[in-house]
Amino acid sequence: MNIITKVVSYVLIIFIILSLNFFLPRMMPAGPLSDSGITSSNESVLEEYINYMVNLVHGELGWSTSRNAPVWDVLKESLKWTVLLVGTSTAIYVIAGILTGAVSAWKKGKKSDAGLLVLLISLASFPPFFLGMLFIVFLAWRLDIFPRFGAQTLFIDYSTPFGVVLDILHHLILPAATLTLTSIGVIYLLTRNSMLNVLGEDYILAARAKGLSEWYIMRKHALKNALLPIITMVALVAGFVITGTIFVETVFAYPGVGVLVYEAVQAHDYPLLQGAFLIIALAILAVNFIADMVYVHLDPRVREE
Amino acid sequence: MKIAFLKKYLTNQLGLIGLGILIFFVVTAVFAPYIAPYDPDQRYKSTDHPNSAHLLGTNHVGQDILSELIYGTRVSLFITLFASFVSAFIGTSLGVIAGYFGRTDFFIMRIVDLFLTIPRLPLIIIIAAFMRPSVWNLVFVFALFEWSITARIIRSEVLTLKNRPYVDATRMFGAGDFYILGRHILPNVVPLVVVQLVLVSRYIILAESGLSFIGLGDPTAKSWGMILHDAFEYPTIFISDAWMWWMLPAGMCIVLTILSLTFIGYALEELVNPRLKLLT
Repeated sequence: MNIITKVVSYVLIIFIILSLNFFLPRMMPAGPLSDSGITSSNESVLEEYINYMVNLVHGELGWSTSRNAPVWDVLKESLKWTVLLVGTSTAIYVIAGILTGAVSAWKKGKKSDAGLLVLLISLASFPPFFLGMLFIVFLAWRLDIFPRFGAQTLFIDYSTPFGVVLDILHHLILPAATLTLTSIGVIYLLTRNSMLNVLGEDYILAARAKGLSEWYIMRKHALKNALLPIITMVALVAGFVITGTIFVETVFAYPGVGVLVYEAVQAHDYPLLQGAFLIIALAILAVNFIADMVYVHLDPRVREE
Repeated sequence: MKIAFLKKYLTNQLGLIGLGILIFFVVTAVFAPYIAPYDPDQRYKSTDHPNSAHLLGTNHVGQDILSELIYGTRVSLFITLFASFVSAFIGTSLGVIAGYFGRTDFFIMRIVDLFLTIPRLPLIIIIAAFMRPSVWNLVFVFALFEWSITARIIRSEVLTLKNRPYVDATRMFGAGDFYILGRHILPNVVPLVVVQLVLVSRYIILAESGLSFIGLGDPTAKSWGMILHDAFEYPTIFISDAWMWWMLPAGMCIVLTILSLTFIGYALEELVNPRLKLLT
């Protein structure tokens, strides 16, 4: 598939998502519409639809009934925290996943391989919100070494700017750990499989025969070639992590876009829910699109087709 | 051949453990009314600690948590299994049609691509939020969105199957499309469909628990995720000891079910594709 068809299909999907966002509340029984703040004027549906699209371009997403503020302002305020949380988690699980996967493949059949395998597969079986709740019970309340909620300590004066950063990091650790630990398994397994395939290749045997050190072979010959299939998977897991923030932010009351979904569902604040949904869906699409482009760039075979 | 398949599966330790856990939960779900000590809707003294009458105590409105948990097995497994069977059916049908009858291939695969790229879980969440929360609606949204991967996998398998020499030979003897499909194509995609069924179930139970946790589950038929939702909404869940009997059992049921499906999935994949052997 060449780049143009890719771009076209992404544009089509964005269009479908925007349209769904418009039509969903209108297809549902009258219930949610009446008190939702979604316009129910006497314009025709087509006019409303065009207005909706024009407003979107101007960043107008409607009025949040629970926050009593424009949806876009609420989202803008939350976005930075979600970006921080997702960014940190993604960086950690990609690096840790590749490292553990490579170690596991290298030590295949040994105790360290089996240990990593069992541990990471078990962790992948935890719903993110449940692991987060366990962390809160044990690490935040019983041991009292991490903050219990939020992204910053409220009502506190920091003596130094360094103190602010430290406080934010302290609040970030548990939510980021929850997201990382529940999503690392996929990257780990894929790296492990990919490495095992590559390690069976003749050029690895040749490199060994040349007398190169095991570490050099792993780094330069094996890992480099094993990484290619991982890129698409990173995007897939990033989508999983972005969705996962809905649950993790809820558990930790972390003030990002994800917790807005929970709040909006509880308060029946449909405009806010739709706004948060749009941001989350577009973010996932963007990540996938970037991964597709990077993949085309890295693997000439895809370009040729 | 099928018996050999089963025998081989039963020698796989992970597969056995997984199957054992799953059977335990399925039996619990089927016989819930006989196992549960109380009707899960019956109300007693609220937020009671565990005692001889209520082994796991009671929740915020006085329902027996153990009975909720046992009936919750029913709800969680019903949604998961029903939705994954429907999505496996849709995926397999479309995959076989696309792979076998070339004319529809392009059209079906574009739709599959669309469903694969669209961010499914956020979409499921927003559609579920606009519908009245009910077990059937959850089954519907999951079945609607989780068939695409199965369709793609089955299609590529059918593409290789339909050009095998024995299929050509059958066709030469005058066999029709439906004979070939029923006799040579479908039986050969069954193992792949089973693997997909397990993987999709694993995904759906994870997603269902998440949806219920944020309050989109059916309040009249509580799944494990809904129990966790109630527990999370209870103000002193983390401070008091209530997490031990209210939060932990429901959460561990979800974890164990997912783990069992993971084990079964790996064991089956090893059988279908022995190169994938996890531990040697």
